[in-house]
Amino acid sequence: MNQMTRDQMEAAAPLAAVPADQKSLIEIRDLYKSFGRRHILRGINLDVIRGETLVILGGSGSGKTTLLRHLMGMLRPDEGSIAVHFADSTMRLDRASHAELDAYRDRLGVIFQGAALLNSMTVLENVGLPLVEVRRLPPQVVYEKVIVALQKVYLPAGEILHLKPAALSGGMRKRVGIARAIVQEPELILYDEPTTGLDPVTVSGVNELTLDLQKRLGVTSVVITHDIHAAFIIADRIAMLYKGRIIAIGPKDEFRAHPNPVVQQLLTGSTQGPLTEAFLQGQAT
Amino acid sequence: MSRKTTLFERMDHSTGVKAVESVGRAAMERASLGGRALLLFIDTIYQLPKTARSLPQIFRQIEICGIGSLFVLALIAFLTGMIMALQTGSELLKFGAQNNLGAIIGATFVREFGPMWAAIIMLARVGAAMAAELGTMAVNEEVDALRVMNINPVRFLVLPRMLALIVSMPLLTVIADYVGMFGGALVASYVYGSPFDQFLDSARGILGNLDFYSGLAKSMVFGAIIATIACDRGLHTTDGAEGVGRSTNQTVVASVICVLIANLMMTGFVQQILKPVFE
Repeated sequence: MNQMTRDQMEAAAPLAAVPADQKSLIEIRDLYKSFGRRHILRGINLDVIRGETLVILGGSGSGKTTLLRHLMGMLRPDEGSIAVHFADSTMRLDRASHAELDAYRDRLGVIFQGAALLNSMTVLENVGLPLVEVRRLPPQVVYEKVIVALQKVYLPAGEILHLKPAALSGGMRKRVGIARAIVQEPELILYDEPTTGLDPVTVSGVNELTLDLQKRLGVTSVVITHDIHAAFIIADRIAMLYKGRIIAIGPKDEFRAHPNPVVQQLLTGSTQGPLTEAFLQGQAT
Repeated sequence: MSRKTTLFERMDHSTGVKAVESVGRAAMERASLGGRALLLFIDTIYQLPKTARSLPQIFRQIEICGIGSLFVLALIAFLTGMIMALQTGSELLKFGAQNNLGAIIGATFVREFGPMWAAIIMLARVGAAMAAELGTMAVNEEVDALRVMNINPVRFLVLPRMLALIVSMPLLTVIADYVGMFGGALVASYVYGSPFDQFLDSARGILGNLDFYSGLAKSMVFGAIIATIACDRGLHTTDGAEGVGRSTNQTVVASVICVLIANLMMTGFVQQILKPVFE
Protein backbone atom coordinates (compact mmCIF):
# COMPACT_ATOMS: atom_id res chain seq x y z
CA MET A 1 0.00 0.00 0.00
CA ASN A 2 2.78 2.35 0.89
CA GLN A 3 4.75 1.48 -2.21
CA MET A 4 2.78 3.99 -4.28
CA THR A 5 4.89 6.66 -5.95
CA ARG A 6 4.10 10.32 -5.41
CA ASP A 7 2.64 10.60 -8.91
CA GLN A 8 0.37 7.62 -8.26
CA MET A 9 -0.82 9.13 -4.97
CA GLU A 10 -1.61 12.47 -6.63
CA ALA A 11 -3.16 10.94 -9.76
CA ALA A 12 -6.82 11.73 -10.39
CA ALA A 13 -9.20 8.87 -9.70
CA PRO A 14 -11.09 7.59 -12.74
CA LEU A 15 -14.46 9.27 -13.17
CA ALA A 16 -16.99 7.14 -11.31
CA ALA A 17 -19.73 5.96 -13.68
CA VAL A 18 -23.23 7.20 -12.86
CA PRO A 19 -25.54 4.17 -12.39
CA ALA A 20 -27.94 3.60 -15.28
CA ASP A 21 -31.04 4.24 -13.14
CA GLN A 22 -29.71 7.54 -11.83
CA LYS A 23 -28.89 10.90 -13.37
CA SER A 24 -26.19 13.35 -12.52
CA LEU A 25 -27.22 16.82 -11.36
CA ILE A 26 -23.74 18.32 -11.62
CA GLU A 27 -21.06 17.37 -14.13
CA ILE A 28 -17.62 18.85 -13.59
CA ARG A 29 -15.10 18.19 -16.33
CA ASP A 30 -11.37 19.05 -16.46
CA LEU A 31 -11.73 21.98 -14.08
CA TYR A 32 -8.58 24.07 -13.64
CA LYS A 33 -8.16 27.18 -11.51
CA SER A 34 -5.02 29.11 -10.58
CA PHE A 35 -4.44 32.26 -8.56
CA GLY A 36 -1.19 33.71 -9.88
CA ARG A 37 1.36 30.93 -9.75
CA ARG A 38 -0.69 28.87 -7.31
CA HIS A 39 -2.46 26.06 -9.13
CA ILE A 40 -5.40 25.32 -6.86
CA LEU A 41 -7.59 23.04 -8.99
CA ARG A 42 -5.67 20.81 -11.40
CA GLY A 43 -8.21 18.90 -13.45
CA ILE A 44 -11.30 18.07 -11.42
CA ASN A 45 -13.65 15.48 -12.92
CA LEU A 46 -16.70 14.78 -10.83
CA ASP A 47 -20.36 13.82 -11.12
CA VAL A 48 -22.86 14.65 -8.39
CA ILE A 49 -25.83 12.29 -8.65
CA ARG A 50 -29.31 13.74 -8.31
CA GLY A 51 -30.65 13.26 -4.78
CA GLU A 52 -27.39 12.07 -3.20
CA THR A 53 -25.26 13.58 -0.46
CA LEU A 54 -21.71 13.78 -1.73
CA VAL A 55 -19.08 14.66 0.86
CA ILE A 56 -15.82 16.09 -0.42
CA LEU A 57 -13.01 15.58 2.06
CA GLY A 58 -9.63 17.23 1.95
CA GLY A 59 -6.93 18.74 4.08
CA SER A 60 -6.16 22.43 4.38
CA GLY A 61 -5.16 23.97 1.06
CA SER A 62 -6.47 21.05 -0.99
CA GLY A 63 -8.81 23.29 -3.01
CA LYS A 64 -12.10 22.46 -1.26
CA THR A 65 -13.22 26.05 -0.81
CA THR A 66 -12.20 27.01 -4.35
CA LEU A 67 -14.25 24.11 -5.73
CA LEU A 68 -17.22 25.15 -3.59
CA ARG A 69 -16.98 28.75 -4.79
CA HIS A 70 -17.13 27.46 -8.36
CA LEU A 71 -20.30 25.56 -7.47
CA MET A 72 -21.75 28.75 -5.94
CA GLY A 73 -21.06 30.54 -9.23
CA MET A 74 -18.70 32.97 -7.49
CA LEU A 75 -15.59 31.91 -9.43
CA ARG A 76 -15.09 31.07 -13.07
CA PRO A 77 -12.69 28.30 -14.00
CA ASP A 78 -9.59 28.95 -16.07
CA GLU A 79 -10.41 25.81 -18.03
CA GLY A 80 -13.06 23.13 -17.94
CA SER A 81 -16.82 23.03 -17.53
CA ILE A 82 -19.47 22.78 -14.82
CA ALA A 83 -22.88 21.72 -16.09
CA VAL A 84 -25.91 21.61 -13.79
CA HIS A 85 -28.79 19.51 -15.15
CA PHE A 86 -32.06 20.56 -13.55
CA ALA A 87 -35.22 18.72 -14.57
CA ASP A 88 -36.25 21.51 -16.93
CA SER A 89 -32.97 23.05 -18.00
CA THR A 90 -29.20 22.70 -18.08
CA MET A 91 -26.93 25.51 -16.96
CA ARG A 92 -23.26 25.92 -17.68
CA LEU A 93 -21.76 27.71 -14.67
CA ASP A 94 -18.41 28.20 -16.40
CA ARG A 95 -19.96 30.53 -18.97
CA ALA A 96 -23.25 31.59 -17.37
CA SER A 97 -24.54 35.13 -17.85
CA HIS A 98 -25.65 37.20 -14.84
CA ALA A 99 -29.28 36.28 -15.55
CA GLU A 100 -28.42 32.57 -15.77
CA LEU A 101 -26.47 32.74 -12.53
CA ASP A 102 -29.45 34.44 -10.86
CA ALA A 103 -31.72 31.64 -12.10
CA TYR A 104 -29.25 29.03 -10.83
CA ARG A 105 -28.94 30.64 -7.40
CA ASP A 106 -32.73 30.72 -7.05
CA ARG A 107 -32.50 26.91 -6.91
CA LEU A 108 -29.45 26.83 -4.67
CA GLY A 109 -29.08 26.90 -0.90
CA VAL A 110 -25.71 27.46 0.76
CA ILE A 111 -24.85 26.76 4.38
CA PHE A 112 -21.77 28.72 5.31
CA GLN A 113 -19.13 27.70 7.83
CA GLY A 114 -20.06 30.38 10.35
CA ALA A 115 -23.73 30.48 9.26
CA ALA A 116 -23.12 33.98 7.76
CA LEU A 117 -26.22 35.46 9.35
CA LEU A 118 -26.56 39.24 9.19
CA ASN A 119 -25.89 40.39 12.75
CA SER A 120 -27.98 43.53 12.49
CA MET A 121 -31.12 41.54 11.66
CA THR A 122 -33.39 39.31 13.70
CA VAL A 123 -33.88 35.60 13.01
CA LEU A 124 -37.15 36.42 11.23
CA GLU A 125 -35.46 39.01 9.01
CA ASN A 126 -32.47 36.75 8.32
CA VAL A 127 -34.46 33.68 7.31
CA GLY A 128 -37.00 35.76 5.41
CA LEU A 129 -34.36 37.86 3.64
CA PRO A 130 -34.40 36.03 0.27
CA LEU A 131 -38.20 35.95 0.33
CA VAL A 132 -38.44 39.70 0.96
CA GLU A 133 -35.56 40.88 -1.21
CA VAL A 134 -35.67 38.45 -4.11
CA ARG A 135 -39.18 37.05 -4.28
CA ARG A 136 -40.79 40.18 -2.77
CA LEU A 137 -43.45 38.19 -0.97
CA PRO A 138 -45.92 39.97 1.35
CA PRO A 139 -44.94 40.07 5.05
CA GLN A 140 -47.59 37.56 6.18
CA VAL A 141 -46.45 34.95 3.62
CA VAL A 142 -42.81 35.55 4.60
CA TYR A 143 -43.70 35.10 8.25
CA GLU A 144 -45.47 31.80 7.61
CA LYS A 145 -42.66 30.44 5.44
CA VAL A 146 -40.04 31.43 8.03
CA ILE A 147 -41.98 29.62 10.77
CA VAL A 148 -42.17 26.48 8.61
CA ALA A 149 -38.43 26.65 7.79
CA LEU A 150 -37.52 27.06 11.48
CA GLN A 151 -39.74 24.13 12.39
CA LYS A 152 -37.99 21.97 9.77
CA VAL A 153 -34.67 22.55 11.56
CA TYR A 154 -36.31 21.91 14.96
CA LEU A 155 -35.95 25.42 16.32
CA PRO A 156 -38.51 26.99 18.69
CA ALA A 157 -39.68 29.66 16.26
CA GLY A 158 -41.80 31.53 18.79
CA GLU A 159 -38.90 32.02 21.18
CA ILE A 160 -36.14 33.03 18.78
CA LEU A 161 -37.97 34.80 15.97
CA HIS A 162 -37.14 38.28 17.20
CA LEU A 163 -33.69 37.55 18.57
CA LYS A 164 -30.53 38.66 16.82
CA PRO A 165 -27.84 36.08 15.93
CA ALA A 166 -25.57 37.26 18.77
CA ALA A 167 -28.16 36.04 21.26
CA LEU A 168 -28.13 32.47 19.85
CA SER A 169 -25.78 29.57 20.56
CA GLY A 170 -23.40 28.32 17.82
CA GLY A 171 -25.63 25.33 17.09
CA MET A 172 -28.76 27.48 16.87
CA ARG A 173 -27.02 29.92 14.56
CA LYS A 174 -26.06 27.03 12.30
CA ARG A 175 -29.67 25.79 12.29
CA VAL A 176 -30.93 29.29 11.45
CA GLY A 177 -28.39 29.33 8.60
CA ILE A 178 -29.80 26.02 7.36
CA ALA A 179 -33.35 27.37 7.71
CA ARG A 180 -32.39 30.37 5.56
CA ALA A 181 -30.88 28.03 2.96
CA ILE A 182 -34.00 25.83 2.73
CA VAL A 183 -36.66 28.56 2.99
CA GLN A 184 -36.59 28.93 -0.80
CA GLU A 185 -36.94 25.15 -1.23
CA PRO A 186 -33.69 24.67 -3.17
CA GLU A 187 -32.90 21.70 -5.38
CA LEU A 188 -29.21 21.76 -4.48
CA ILE A 189 -27.68 22.52 -1.09
CA LEU A 190 -23.99 23.26 -0.62
CA TYR A 191 -22.53 22.86 2.87
CA ASP A 192 -19.22 24.55 3.71
CA GLU A 193 -17.67 22.87 6.76
CA PRO A 194 -21.06 22.48 8.50
CA THR A 195 -19.67 21.07 11.75
CA THR A 196 -16.51 23.14 12.21
CA GLY A 197 -16.23 24.91 15.54
CA LEU A 198 -19.22 23.16 17.16
CA ASP A 199 -19.24 21.01 20.28
CA PRO A 200 -19.70 17.22 19.82
CA VAL A 201 -23.36 17.21 20.84
CA THR A 202 -24.18 20.04 18.42
CA VAL A 203 -22.14 18.29 15.71
CA SER A 204 -24.34 15.19 16.14
CA GLY A 205 -27.41 17.42 15.99
CA VAL A 206 -26.27 19.06 12.74
CA ASN A 207 -25.42 15.65 11.23
CA GLU A 208 -28.85 14.27 12.14
CA LEU A 209 -30.47 17.38 10.72
CA THR A 210 -28.53 17.05 7.45
CA LEU A 211 -29.63 13.41 7.11
CA ASP A 212 -33.19 14.27 8.05
CA LEU A 213 -33.43 17.10 5.52
CA GLN A 214 -32.02 14.81 2.87
CA LYS A 215 -34.75 12.23 3.56
CA ARG A 216 -37.62 14.71 3.87
CA LEU A 217 -36.73 17.16 1.11
CA GLY A 218 -34.91 14.80 -1.28
CA VAL A 219 -32.47 17.53 -2.30
CA THR A 220 -29.01 16.96 -3.71
CA SER A 221 -26.29 17.97 -1.24
CA VAL A 222 -22.59 18.63 -1.64
CA VAL A 223 -20.75 18.85 1.66
CA ILE A 224 -17.22 20.22 1.91
CA THR A 225 -15.58 19.18 5.15
CA HIS A 226 -12.55 17.71 6.85
CA ASP A 227 -14.69 16.09 9.56
CA ILE A 228 -14.25 12.36 8.80
CA HIS A 229 -16.75 11.26 11.44
CA ALA A 230 -19.49 13.51 10.07
CA ALA A 231 -18.66 12.46 6.51
CA PHE A 232 -19.31 8.77 7.24
CA ILE A 233 -22.62 9.61 8.92
CA ILE A 234 -24.17 11.85 6.29
CA ALA A 235 -22.59 10.77 2.99
CA ASP A 236 -23.93 8.53 0.26
CA ARG A 237 -20.56 8.85 -1.46
CA ILE A 238 -17.28 10.37 -0.35
CA ALA A 239 -14.64 12.00 -2.55
CA MET A 240 -11.16 13.08 -1.52
CA LEU A 241 -9.58 16.24 -2.89
CA TYR A 242 -5.79 16.36 -2.75
CA LYS A 243 -3.53 18.91 -4.41
CA GLY A 244 -6.35 20.09 -6.66
CA ARG A 245 -7.47 16.67 -7.90
CA ILE A 246 -10.11 14.12 -6.86
CA ILE A 247 -7.86 11.20 -5.96
CA ALA A 248 -10.53 8.87 -4.59
CA ILE A 249 -14.31 8.63 -4.80
CA GLY A 250 -16.86 6.01 -3.97
CA PRO A 251 -19.50 4.75 -1.54
CA LYS A 252 -18.50 4.85 2.15
CA ASP A 253 -17.21 1.25 2.45
CA GLU A 254 -15.30 1.48 -0.79
CA PHE A 255 -13.76 4.76 0.27
CA ARG A 256 -12.78 3.40 3.68
CA ALA A 257 -10.80 0.59 2.02
CA HIS A 258 -9.15 2.80 -0.60
CA PRO A 259 -5.46 1.85 -1.05
CA ASN A 260 -4.13 5.40 -1.53
CA PRO A 261 -1.90 6.30 1.47
CA VAL A 262 -3.19 9.88 1.35
CA VAL A 263 -6.75 8.66 1.93
CA GLN A 264 -5.62 6.28 4.65
CA GLN A 265 -3.68 9.00 6.47
CA LEU A 266 -6.73 11.28 6.45
CA LEU A 267 -8.94 8.45 7.71
CA THR A 268 -6.58 7.39 10.51
CA GLY A 269 -5.51 10.92 11.43
CA SER A 270 -1.87 9.81 11.56
CA THR A 271 0.81 12.50 11.72
CA GLN A 272 3.09 10.41 9.52
CA GLY A 273 2.38 10.25 5.81
CA PRO A 274 2.11 12.10 2.53
CA LEU A 275 -0.40 14.68 3.81
CA THR A 276 2.04 15.83 6.50
CA GLU A 277 4.90 15.93 4.01
CA ALA A 278 2.82 17.96 1.58
CA PHE A 279 1.84 20.35 4.38
CA LEU A 280 5.46 20.82 5.48
CA GLN A 281 6.49 21.33 1.86
CA GLY A 282 3.81 23.98 1.49
CA GLN A 283 5.04 25.69 4.68
CA ALA A 284 8.61 25.68 3.39
CA THR A 285 7.81 27.18 0.00
CA MET B 1 39.95 41.56 -18.06
CA SER B 2 38.07 44.00 -15.90
CA ARG B 3 35.57 46.13 -17.79
CA LYS B 4 34.28 49.55 -16.87
CA THR B 5 30.87 49.44 -15.27
CA THR B 6 28.17 51.97 -16.12
CA LEU B 7 26.72 54.32 -13.54
CA PHE B 8 23.47 52.35 -13.60
CA GLU B 9 25.30 49.10 -12.87
CA ARG B 10 27.17 50.71 -10.00
CA MET B 11 23.96 51.91 -8.41
CA ASP B 12 23.15 50.19 -5.23
CA HIS B 13 20.14 48.06 -6.12
CA SER B 14 19.14 47.73 -2.52
CA THR B 15 18.47 51.43 -2.16
CA GLY B 16 17.94 53.69 -5.17
CA VAL B 17 16.33 51.35 -7.64
CA LYS B 18 14.32 49.57 -5.02
CA ALA B 19 13.06 52.88 -3.67
CA VAL B 20 11.87 53.90 -7.14
CA GLU B 21 10.32 50.46 -7.59
CA SER B 22 8.46 50.62 -4.31
CA VAL B 23 7.21 54.16 -5.00
CA GLY B 24 6.01 53.04 -8.42
CA ARG B 25 4.34 49.95 -6.97
CA ALA B 26 2.64 52.01 -4.25
CA ALA B 27 1.42 54.52 -6.86
CA MET B 28 0.01 51.70 -8.99
CA GLU B 29 -1.72 50.16 -6.00
CA ARG B 30 -3.29 53.50 -5.01
CA ALA B 31 -4.42 54.08 -8.60
CA SER B 32 -5.92 50.60 -8.68
CA LEU B 33 -7.76 51.18 -5.38
CA GLY B 34 -9.00 54.56 -6.64
CA GLY B 35 -10.25 52.97 -9.86
CA ARG B 36 -12.03 50.23 -7.93
CA ALA B 37 -13.74 52.78 -5.67
CA LEU B 38 -14.80 54.80 -8.73
CA LEU B 39 -16.36 51.69 -10.26
CA LEU B 40 -18.23 51.05 -7.01
CA PHE B 41 -19.54 54.63 -7.10
CA ILE B 42 -20.73 54.17 -10.70
CA ASP B 43 -22.32 50.84 -9.79
CA THR B 44 -24.12 52.56 -6.89
CA ILE B 45 -25.43 55.30 -9.21
CA TYR B 46 -26.65 52.51 -11.49
CA GLN B 47 -28.66 51.13 -8.54
CA LEU B 48 -30.42 54.48 -7.89
CA PRO B 49 -33.68 53.45 -9.64
CA LYS B 50 -34.03 50.76 -6.94
CA THR B 51 -33.87 53.31 -4.12
CA ALA B 52 -37.50 52.75 -3.12
CA ARG B 53 -36.72 49.14 -2.14
CA SER B 54 -33.98 50.34 0.19
CA LEU B 55 -35.95 53.07 1.98
CA PRO B 56 -36.08 51.31 5.38
CA GLN B 57 -32.30 50.79 5.31
CA ILE B 58 -31.74 54.40 4.19
CA PHE B 59 -33.76 55.78 7.12
CA ARG B 60 -31.91 53.46 9.49
CA GLN B 61 -28.56 54.67 8.17
CA ILE B 62 -29.64 58.32 8.38
CA GLU B 63 -30.54 57.69 12.00
CA ILE B 64 -27.16 56.07 12.67
CA CYS B 65 -24.92 58.50 10.83
CA GLY B 66 -26.88 61.74 10.88
CA ILE B 67 -28.65 61.92 14.20
CA GLY B 68 -25.85 60.03 15.96
CA SER B 69 -23.28 62.62 14.85
CA LEU B 70 -25.37 65.67 15.68
CA PHE B 71 -24.21 66.32 19.24
CA VAL B 72 -20.49 65.80 18.58
CA LEU B 73 -20.57 68.00 15.51
CA ALA B 74 -22.53 70.75 17.26
CA LEU B 75 -20.10 70.72 20.19
CA ILE B 76 -17.05 70.90 17.94
CA ALA B 77 -18.57 73.65 15.78
CA PHE B 78 -19.59 75.64 18.88
CA LEU B 79 -16.11 75.41 20.40
CA THR B 80 -14.39 76.18 17.10
CA GLY B 81 -16.60 79.22 16.59
CA MET B 82 -15.71 80.50 20.05
CA ILE B 83 -11.97 79.85 19.62
CA MET B 84 -11.93 81.53 16.22
CA ALA B 85 -13.74 84.55 17.62
CA LEU B 86 -11.32 84.79 20.55
CA GLN B 87 -8.25 84.53 18.30
CA THR B 88 -9.51 86.84 15.56
CA GLY B 89 -11.24 89.27 17.88
CA SER B 90 -8.09 90.11 19.82
CA GLU B 91 -6.38 91.17 16.59
CA LEU B 92 -9.40 93.07 15.25
CA LEU B 93 -9.70 94.88 18.56
CA LYS B 94 -6.33 96.55 17.94
CA PHE B 95 -7.84 98.21 14.86
CA GLY B 96 -11.25 98.75 16.40
CA ALA B 97 -12.69 96.41 13.80
CA GLN B 98 -14.25 93.87 16.15
CA ASN B 99 -17.67 94.54 14.57
CA ASN B 100 -16.40 92.62 11.52
CA LEU B 101 -16.14 89.41 13.50
CA GLY B 102 -19.47 88.17 12.09
CA ALA B 103 -18.20 88.48 8.52
CA ILE B 104 -15.04 86.55 9.28
CA ILE B 105 -16.62 83.80 11.37
CA GLY B 106 -19.67 83.53 9.07
CA ALA B 107 -17.64 83.32 5.88
CA THR B 108 -15.24 80.79 7.38
CA PHE B 109 -18.00 78.53 8.65
CA VAL B 110 -20.40 78.71 5.73
CA ARG B 111 -17.71 78.34 3.09
CA GLU B 112 -15.23 75.99 4.77
CA PHE B 113 -15.58 74.98 8.41
CA GLY B 114 -19.20 73.82 8.24
CA PRO B 115 -18.74 71.29 5.44
CA MET B 116 -15.21 70.36 6.56
CA TRP B 117 -16.14 69.71 10.19
CA ALA B 118 -19.16 67.71 9.08
CA ALA B 119 -16.90 65.69 6.76
CA ILE B 120 -14.26 65.11 9.42
CA ILE B 121 -16.80 63.98 12.01
CA MET B 122 -18.52 61.77 9.45
CA LEU B 123 -15.38 60.12 8.16
CA ALA B 124 -13.96 59.55 11.64
CA ARG B 125 -17.18 58.40 13.23
CA VAL B 126 -19.36 57.02 10.45
CA GLY B 127 -16.91 56.19 7.64
CA ALA B 128 -14.69 54.17 9.96
CA ALA B 129 -17.70 52.39 11.45
CA MET B 130 -19.06 51.61 7.96
CA ALA B 131 -15.73 50.14 6.84
CA ALA B 132 -15.51 48.08 10.03
CA GLU B 133 -19.11 46.85 9.74
CA LEU B 134 -18.87 45.90 6.06
CA GLY B 135 -15.36 44.51 6.62
CA THR B 136 -16.64 42.23 9.37
CA MET B 137 -19.51 41.17 7.12
CA ALA B 138 -17.06 40.40 4.32
CA VAL B 139 -14.74 38.25 6.46
CA ASN B 140 -17.74 36.46 8.03
CA GLU B 141 -18.97 35.56 4.51
CA GLU B 142 -22.15 37.59 5.03
CA VAL B 143 -21.52 39.45 1.77
CA ASP B 144 -21.01 36.12 -0.04
CA ALA B 145 -24.25 34.90 1.53
CA LEU B 146 -26.07 37.91 0.05
CA ARG B 147 -24.60 37.17 -3.38
CA VAL B 148 -25.66 33.51 -3.36
CA MET B 149 -29.16 34.61 -2.31
CA ASN B 150 -29.20 36.84 -5.42
CA ILE B 151 -29.17 40.00 -3.31
CA ASN B 152 -26.89 42.60 -4.84
CA PRO B 153 -24.59 43.86 -2.04
CA VAL B 154 -24.22 47.24 -3.77
CA ARG B 155 -27.98 47.77 -3.76
CA PHE B 156 -28.50 46.26 -0.31
CA LEU B 157 -25.46 47.59 1.58
CA VAL B 158 -23.79 50.43 -0.34
CA LEU B 159 -26.74 52.38 -1.78
CA PRO B 160 -28.46 53.03 1.61
CA ARG B 161 -25.19 54.10 3.22
CA MET B 162 -24.23 56.41 0.40
CA LEU B 163 -27.66 58.06 0.16
CA ALA B 164 -27.80 58.40 3.95
CA LEU B 165 -24.47 60.25 3.96
CA ILE B 166 -25.39 62.43 0.97
CA VAL B 167 -28.66 63.42 2.67
CA SER B 168 -27.21 63.82 6.17
CA MET B 169 -24.15 65.86 5.27
CA PRO B 170 -25.92 69.09 4.14
CA LEU B 171 -28.18 68.96 7.21
CA LEU B 172 -25.20 68.54 9.51
CA THR B 173 -23.37 71.28 7.63
CA VAL B 174 -26.22 73.76 8.18
CA ILE B 175 -26.22 72.89 11.88
CA ALA B 176 -22.43 73.29 12.06
CA ASP B 177 -22.71 76.67 10.27
CA TYR B 178 -25.30 78.06 12.68
CA VAL B 179 -23.88 76.58 15.88
CA GLY B 180 -20.37 77.74 14.95
CA MET B 181 -21.60 81.24 14.23
CA PHE B 182 -23.58 81.21 17.46
CA GLY B 183 -20.40 80.32 19.40
CA GLY B 184 -18.57 83.14 17.64
CA ALA B 185 -21.44 85.57 18.31
CA LEU B 186 -21.37 84.70 22.03
CA VAL B 187 -17.68 85.56 22.28
CA ALA B 188 -18.14 88.67 20.13
CA SER B 189 -20.92 89.84 22.40
CA TYR B 190 -19.57 88.96 25.85
CA VAL B 191 -15.82 89.39 25.31
CA TYR B 192 -15.53 92.11 22.68
CA GLY B 193 -18.81 93.92 23.26
CA SER B 194 -20.05 93.50 19.70
CA PRO B 195 -23.83 92.88 19.93
CA PHE B 196 -25.58 89.88 18.33
CA ASP B 197 -27.36 92.03 15.73
CA GLN B 198 -24.09 93.61 14.69
CA PHE B 199 -22.51 90.16 14.37
CA LEU B 200 -25.36 88.89 12.18
CA ASP B 201 -25.46 92.03 10.00
CA SER B 202 -21.73 91.72 9.47
CA ALA B 203 -22.12 88.06 8.46
CA ARG B 204 -25.08 88.82 6.14
CA GLY B 205 -23.08 91.57 4.51
CA ILE B 206 -20.44 89.24 3.19
CA LEU B 207 -22.34 86.02 2.63
CA GLY B 208 -24.37 85.37 -0.49
CA ASN B 209 -26.53 82.53 -1.70
CA LEU B 210 -23.58 81.13 -3.61
CA ASP B 211 -21.56 80.75 -0.40
CA PHE B 212 -24.40 78.94 1.32
CA TYR B 213 -25.33 76.59 -1.52
CA SER B 214 -21.75 75.85 -2.54
CA GLY B 215 -21.06 74.83 1.07
CA LEU B 216 -24.02 72.44 0.93
CA ALA B 217 -22.94 71.06 -2.46
CA LYS B 218 -19.47 70.50 -1.08
CA SER B 219 -20.86 68.59 1.86
CA MET B 220 -22.85 66.30 -0.42
CA VAL B 221 -19.75 65.52 -2.48
CA PHE B 222 -17.82 64.85 0.75
CA GLY B 223 -20.57 62.47 1.84
CA ALA B 224 -20.38 60.57 -1.45
CA ILE B 225 -16.57 60.37 -1.19
CA ILE B 226 -16.61 59.08 2.41
CA ALA B 227 -19.33 56.50 1.71
CA THR B 228 -17.63 55.26 -1.47
CA ILE B 229 -14.24 54.81 0.20
CA ALA B 230 -15.68 53.24 3.36
CA CYS B 231 -17.89 50.79 1.46
CA ASP B 232 -15.16 49.90 -1.03
CA ARG B 233 -12.58 49.19 1.68
CA GLY B 234 -15.14 47.35 3.76
CA LEU B 235 -16.42 45.10 0.99
CA HIS B 236 -12.89 44.15 -0.05
CA THR B 237 -11.67 43.30 3.44
CA THR B 238 -9.75 40.05 3.84
CA ASP B 239 -7.57 38.50 6.58
CA GLY B 240 -9.99 38.52 9.51
CA ALA B 241 -9.78 40.99 12.38
CA GLU B 242 -6.43 42.38 11.22
CA GLY B 243 -7.95 43.11 7.82
CA VAL B 244 -10.91 44.90 9.40
CA GLY B 245 -8.53 47.16 11.32
CA ARG B 246 -6.53 47.83 8.17
CA SER B 247 -9.67 48.72 6.18
CA THR B 248 -10.86 51.08 8.90
CA ASN B 249 -7.50 52.80 9.04
CA GLN B 250 -7.27 53.09 5.25
CA THR B 251 -10.79 54.52 5.10
CA VAL B 252 -9.95 57.36 7.47
CA VAL B 253 -6.65 58.22 5.80
CA ALA B 254 -7.94 57.97 2.22
CA SER B 255 -11.13 59.89 3.07
CA VAL B 256 -9.21 62.78 4.66
CA ILE B 257 -6.94 63.09 1.63
CA CYS B 258 -9.74 62.78 -0.94
CA VAL B 259 -12.03 65.19 0.92
CA LEU B 260 -9.25 67.80 1.08
CA ILE B 261 -8.42 67.39 -2.60
CA ALA B 262 -12.11 67.64 -3.52
CA ASN B 263 -12.45 70.70 -1.28
CA LEU B 264 -9.53 72.42 -2.99
CA MET B 265 -10.94 71.71 -6.43
CA MET B 266 -14.47 72.79 -5.57
CA THR B 267 -13.32 75.93 -3.73
CA GLY B 268 -11.22 76.86 -6.77
CA PHE B 269 -14.18 76.26 -9.05
CA VAL B 270 -16.55 78.35 -6.92
CA GLN B 271 -14.16 81.23 -6.28
CA GLN B 272 -12.56 81.44 -9.70
CA ILE B 273 -15.36 80.44 -12.04
CA LEU B 274 -18.79 80.67 -10.38
CA LYS B 275 -18.27 83.76 -8.24
CA PRO B 276 -17.36 86.14 -11.10
CA VAL B 277 -20.46 84.93 -12.97
CA PHE B 278 -22.97 85.24 -10.11
CA GLU B 279 -21.66 88.33 -8.31
